[in-house]
Amino acid sequence: MWAYVFRRLIYNIPVYLTIIFVVMALLRVNDPVYAFLGKNTTQEDIDRRREEFGLDRPFLTQYGEFLKRLAFFDFSQESWSRRGRKVSDEIAGAVIPTLSLTIPALTLTSLISIFVGMISAFFRGRNLDRGLVFFAVLGMSISFLVYIILGQYFIAYLPQKYFESHDMKETWGSVWFAIQGYEPGLQHWFHYIMLPVLISVIVAMGYDTRFYRAVMVEETGRDYIVTARSKGATQSKIMFVHMLRNALIPIVTRIMITLPFLITGSILLEMYFNIPGMGKTLITAINEKNLPIIETFTSLFAGLFILSNILTDVLYAIVDPRVRLT
Amino acid sequence: MTNNRFLRSTALLLGVLASSLIVGCNGSADQDPGTGGGTEGGGASAEEKVLHLPMRTDGPKSLDPVRGSTVYDNRASSFVYETLIQYAYFKRPSDATALEPLLLAEMPTVSEDGLTYNFKLKPGVFFHDDPCFPDSKGREMKAEDVIYSWKRMADNDNDPKSWWLMENTIAGFDKYREEQNAAEKFDYDAPVEGMKVINDYEFEITLQEPVYRFLYTLAMFQLAVVPREAVEMYGSKFDLHPVGTGPFTLKEEDWVQGKSMVFNKNPNYHECYYPTEFTPEDIEKGFDKDQGKRLPLVDQVEVTMFVEDQPMWLSFSAKDVDYTQVPAENFDDAFTKRGRRSNRTFELKSDYESEDISWASVPLLDFIFYGFNMDDSLIGGYDEKSKKLRQALCLAMDWDERNDRFYNGINIIYDGPIPPGLAGHPEGHNAPESYRGPDIPRAKKLLAEAGYPDGEGLPVIEFYTSRGGNNAEQVEMLARHMEQIGVKLDIKLVDFSTLIENVNTKKAPFFSFAWSSDYPDAENNLALFYGPYESPGANHFNYKRDDYDQMYEKIRTMPPSPERLKIVESMRSMLLEDAPYAGSMARTRFYLINPRLKNFKPSEDFYNWVKYLNVGE
Amino acid sequence: MMQRIRKTRAGRKLLANRMALGAMLIIGVYLAAAIFVMLGGISPSFCNQPVGPPNIPGFFAEAPAEKRLVNAENTLAVVDRALAKSTPESQQASLDEIQVGLRKLEKISLDDFELKLEKAYAIYDDLSASPDLENDESGLALLADLESEVESLTATPTFSQQVMETIYLSLGTDRQGRSIFIRAVFSIKVAVQIGVVTAMISVAIGSVLGALAGFFGGWVDHAVIWLYSTFSSIPNLVLLVVLAYVFSSINVEIFGKAIGQTLIPVYVAFCCTFWIGPCRVIRGETLKIKELEYVQASTTAGFSPVYTLLRHVLPNTIHLMLINFSLLLIGAIKSEVILSFLNLGVQAGAGASWGIMIRDSRSEVLNSFFWQIGAATTLMFIFVLAFNILSDALQDAFDPKHV
Repeated sequence: MWAYVFRRLIYNIPVYLTIIFVVMALLRVNDPVYAFLGKNTTQEDIDRRREEFGLDRPFLTQYGEFLKRLAFFDFSQESWSRRGRKVSDEIAGAVIPTLSLTIPALTLTSLISIFVGMISAFFRGRNLDRGLVFFAVLGMSISFLVYIILGQYFIAYLPQKYFESHDMKETWGSVWFAIQGYEPGLQHWFHYIMLPVLISVIVAMGYDTRFYRAVMVEETGRDYIVTARSKGATQSKIMFVHMLRNALIPIVTRIMITLPFLITGSILLEMYFNIPGMGKTLITAINEKNLPIIETFTSLFAGLFILSNILTDVLYAIVDPRVRLT
Repeated sequence: MTNNRFLRSTALLLGVLASSLIVGCNGSADQDPGTGGGTEGGGASAEEKVLHLPMRTDGPKSLDPVRGSTVYDNRASSFVYETLIQYAYFKRPSDATALEPLLLAEMPTVSEDGLTYNFKLKPGVFFHDDPCFPDSKGREMKAEDVIYSWKRMADNDNDPKSWWLMENTIAGFDKYREEQNAAEKFDYDAPVEGMKVINDYEFEITLQEPVYRFLYTLAMFQLAVVPREAVEMYGSKFDLHPVGTGPFTLKEEDWVQGKSMVFNKNPNYHECYYPTEFTPEDIEKGFDKDQGKRLPLVDQVEVTMFVEDQPMWLSFSAKDVDYTQVPAENFDDAFTKRGRRSNRTFELKSDYESEDISWASVPLLDFIFYGFNMDDSLIGGYDEKSKKLRQALCLAMDWDERNDRFYNGINIIYDGPIPPGLAGHPEGHNAPESYRGPDIPRAKKLLAEAGYPDGEGLPVIEFYTSRGGNNAEQVEMLARHMEQIGVKLDIKLVDFSTLIENVNTKKAPFFSFAWSSDYPDAENNLALFYGPYESPGANHFNYKRDDYDQMYEKIRTMPPSPERLKIVESMRSMLLEDAPYAGSMARTRFYLINPRLKNFKPSEDFYNWVKYLNVGE
Repeated sequence: MMQRIRKTRAGRKLLANRMALGAMLIIGVYLAAAIFVMLGGISPSFCNQPVGPPNIPGFFAEAPAEKRLVNAENTLAVVDRALAKSTPESQQASLDEIQVGLRKLEKISLDDFELKLEKAYAIYDDLSASPDLENDESGLALLADLESEVESLTATPTFSQQVMETIYLSLGTDRQGRSIFIRAVFSIKVAVQIGVVTAMISVAIGSVLGALAGFFGGWVDHAVIWLYSTFSSIPNLVLLVVLAYVFSSINVEIFGKAIGQTLIPVYVAFCCTFWIGPCRVIRGETLKIKELEYVQASTTAGFSPVYTLLRHVLPNTIHLMLINFSLLLIGAIKSEVILSFLNLGVQAGAGASWGIMIRDSRSEVLNSFFWQIGAATTLMFIFVLAFNILSDALQDAFDPKHV
C-alpha cells in the first residue's frame, strides 16, 4: 500500500507543478504593480515597487523561487498589501473562522441529507419520496445570494430588532443569531456562526440529498435487502443497519472529496456576515492583486486536494477488500 | 457583545492607570475632575464607555502614516497618531479659523516673507507606553521626533505614498531625499538645510518658496509624529503595531483583518479638553454638554468593517453600531424630501424620530468627473475640432439624472474642478462658460461642427471605469446619454488596478475618476491640471498649457486674496472651455446617529473627532 | 422523430412522466422567449431605456406616496430645466428632446408650459407642508391632482403606446426607470446562451477526452487524468475569478468587439472547471463498455478503433451526456449570479442578466422593493426547477439503477 501511495505522489508532482505554473502565469497577465500606488506617482515609484515585489525578474526565476520556498515549507513571505503580515499569518488567521463555519455545515448537511436520502430511497416512488425530492430540487433552484439576503433580514435582523425594542437585547439578543460578526471561542459560536451554517446547509442539502438517495436506491435493489426482508427484519433495521453499512463507501468517498473545499470557505456568506474567513481573504487578495496570498493558498489547496484524493483511494481499499490498489 | 467580565476587569485596570497618571501630573488643571481621565471608570461598578463605529470598507491597509493614502488609512491612523495642528471639531475645514494647535503650544509663527515657520511644541506630550521604550514607559515627544517623522517621507524604503506633499517645499529637503536614497544607508541624522531644531520644544522650518499649502499639510495624517524607537524596533511590523501620541492605542491582536479593530483609551493622553465655544446650532444639538472635559471621553472604540451595505444598515437599526452612513438605497426609507430643488429640506421619517435617532448631512470636498486624455489622438488635443468633440460629449451628459437616480438627488452638481465651500467655486454652482449638459440640440450641433454629424465617422470611444459599487449601472446611464447624440462607448469595466494602469500609461481615452481634496484650498484641485504632474502623476488628463502652468505656479505661493481668487477663476474658465473632463459632482453624505452616541458632528475631511465622542443612555 | 423516441423503452418512460412533460413544456417556453430575444425582439440598448419613473412596483400597484411625489417632482424639474435655457429657441429645442418614460411632451406653447408648471409647482409646495403624506387624505387627493397635472404635460399616448406601456410596466421598474419585465425577459436569452454554450462545450470536451482516455488507455489516459487533476486542484473560485479578470482586461478583438465585452470570458471560465465532471463519468463508462462483448467483437473483427469508438462506445454514453448537460446548464446559470455579484459576469452595456438584476437589487430588499430581485429569482427558479426535474426524469428513464 505504501508503494501505491508513494507512486501516486510521484505521479502527481507534474500535476502540482503545472497548477502553480498556470496560476502564477495567469496572475501576471496584467501588471499587478499598479494596485499598489498612491494618488500621485512617478515612474520611479512604479519601478521601485516592481523591483521590491520581484516582478522585474524573468517569470521562470519567480516561478523557481516560489517552488523553492514551497519545498522548504517557507510561508514567511510578506503580504503585498499589508506590510508586516506574513502570508502564513494571513492564511492561518482566516482558515480558523472559515473552518468553524464549514465543518459544522458539512457535518450537518451530511447527517441530514443521508437521513433524508435514506427515507426517500426507502419509500421510492411513493408520495413521500416525490415530495422530498421536489423540496430538494426547490432548494437548489434559488440563488445562494437570495438565501443570504433574505436570511439575514428575516431570521437575524427582525428578531434582533424586536429584542432591541423590547429591552431584551441583553438576554435574548446575545443568544439569538447575530446580524453579523465573529468572535473566536465556542461560547460565541451559536450566536455568530449558526445562521450562516444553516443557510449553507439549506443550499447544499438539495445536492447531497439527491446523491445519497441515489446511493441508497442502488442498495435497496441488492439481494441482501431482499433476503433481510424475506427473513422478516423490521424496516428500521433494514434501513439503519443493512443499508447504511453497505452505503458507507460512497458516503465516505463523497465526504472525503469535499474535505479540501472546507478551507476555501464561502465569499458571499463571509462578506454578508462579516466573518474574517478564507473566502473573504481570498477575494480581497484577488482584488488587491496580493499575489503571495493567492499563490500560497492555491498551492496549499492543490496539495490538500491531491492528498485527499489519494487518501480516498486508500480508504476505499481498506473498507472494501474487493478494490485493489494498482 | 463582548464578554462582560473581561470588560469590567479592563475597566478597573484602566481606571487605576488613569488615576495614577493624574496623581503623577500633580492634579493638572483638570476642569472637571469628576469625569476627567477616567476617575469615574475607576469604580468597579461603573460601566465602561464603549463606542461601536462602522467603517465601510474591508479595512485600512497600513497604520504607518507615511505609507497611508486612503481615507480609511487616515481614519485608523487618527486614533493613534497626531499631527502638529488639527481642524477644530465644531468648525468646518473651509472656515478660515478652522486650524488649531494640537501637538503645538500655539499656532506656528510665520515670517513676513512666508518662508520661515517657527514651531513651539506642547510640553507634556508622551508616546504610548510600549516595549520599544526603556521600562515600556512612553517618553516625552521632542522636536527631533517631528523632524524624524517628516524625514521618513523622503525615505523610499518606507514606500511613502505622499511625497508630493513635501516636494519643492522645505529648503534642501528634495536634495536630502535624492542624496540619501542614493546612499547606501538612509541617514536620518544628516542635516536638512531648512529644518532646524532649536531646543527640545522648539524648531524652525525654512521653505524654498512661500508655499501656501504647507500650513494645511501640517494637519494631514501623513505628517503625524512617530517615535524612532518604535520604527526601528518593529521594522515592517510597525504598520500593525502603531506607537504614537494619539488618544487611543491599538494592540496588534485587536486588529482582525477585514473584520474589526478595537482601540483602547490612552491613559497617558496629553492634556486636551473638549471645546468651550459653540454655535447656537451646536448647543441645540447638545454638543455643549461635555465642554471643558478632558479627552478622550470613552474607554474603548470598536470599529467594525462592512463590505456590504445590508449588514451595516441592519446593524445600525438593531443598535449594534452607533451611527451609519445612509446608503443610497436606504435614503428614501429614512428621509422625506420637502421643497423645490433650489431650497430643499430633508426630514427624518417619524419611525426614526420616535426612536430618537438623529441625523446629519456632510458635504464632501469632492470632485467627481469623467476625464478625457488630452494626449489621445481622437479625443485629446487643443484644436477646435477635438475641443468641440469633448464639449459635445459634456453637453450630452445629464448629471442631474445621475444625481437623482443614484444619489437621491442629494449631491451637488457644479461647474469647474473646485468643490463647493472653497474659494473659487462658482456662485450657485454654475459658471457661465460651462458646457454642462444636458443640451442635446447644442451637443448635436457641436458634434457636427467637430466633423461627426450624428456621430457619423466617429469611432467607438473606449471608456474605462472600475467595477464595484453600482458603477456598472452608472456607466449604463452614461452610455445611454451618449447614444442620444450617436456616440458609442466601448465600456471597459475593469478592476481598480487595471483602471490605474490604463490611466497612468495614458491608454485610456475616457475614464471615470474622482478626487477628494486633501486640504480645503482650490490649489489642491487645480494641481490636477498642472503640466509637470502628467500621468502617472495626478494630472491624469495630461492637460498641458504653459499659461495654465504659470498661473498655477503663481497661486501656489500666494495666500488667499482677491487677486489670487481672480487667477483661480480664470484658470477655472480655461478648464471649462478646454473641457479636459466632464463634470462635476460633489457628494453629500447623510448620517443617522443612534441616541446613545453623543457629540457626533460628522466630518469626512478630517478624522480626529473620535476623542470628542461620548456615550449616554 | 416522436415515433422513434416512443419506440425506445426509456423514451416511453420519459413520456409517461407527467412532471417531465411539464418541465419540457416550460423549457420550451423559455427557449421560445430566448429565440425571440435573439432574433432582435429586445435589443440590449432597449434594456437600458427608461420606460417610466424609477422604482415603481409591478402589477400596477401604487408606489408609496412619497415615491410618487418624488417622481412627479423629477418630471417637473426636467421641464423646468429646459425652460430655464436662455433663448426661446433653445428652450423649445430642449423641450422637444425631453422624454418622460416612453412619452414625449405635449405640443403646446412655451407660455402654456410655464403656466402648467407654475400650477403644478403650487400644488407641490402645498404638499410639502404635509408631514405624513401616507396617512393624510387631503394630501393624497392633492397628490393625485399633481400627478394628473404632470401627466397633462406629456402627450396623450396612442392605443398601441398604451398597450406597450402596460406590458413594460407590468413588473415595475428599476432605479433607472428601466422595465423589469423587459430586462428579465432579455435575461432569459443570456441565461440560455450561457447555459447552453458552456454546457455544450464542457460536455463535448469532457466526453471526447473521457472516451479517448477510457478507450485507448496508456499515455492518452495518463495525459487526460493529468489534465483534469490539474484543473480540479485549482480552487474553483481562484480559477473563475482570475480567468475572468484576465479576459476582461486583455485587448483582443473578436467579431469587432473587445473580448471583454462578449460573454467569452464567462464561457472560458466556466468551461475550464465544468468539463471535468463529464470527463470522469464518460471515462468510467467507456472503461465498462470497452469490456462488453460486442465492442470486443468489433475490435477483433478488424474495425478501426476510431470506428468502434464512434459506432459502439460513444452512442452508448449519450444518456450520460444528456444528464450532465442539464446539470451543467443549471450550474452555469447559478454561477453566473455569483460572477455578476463580483462584477465579473455579463458586462455593462450588454443588456441584462438575472445575476445583474439580483446584484443591482440586493439593497432594495431592505426598502421592501422586491420586484426586481423577485422577478429575476422567480424566472430563474422556474427555469432551473424545470431543468432539474427534466434531468431527474432523464436519469430515471435512461439509467434506472441510478435514482
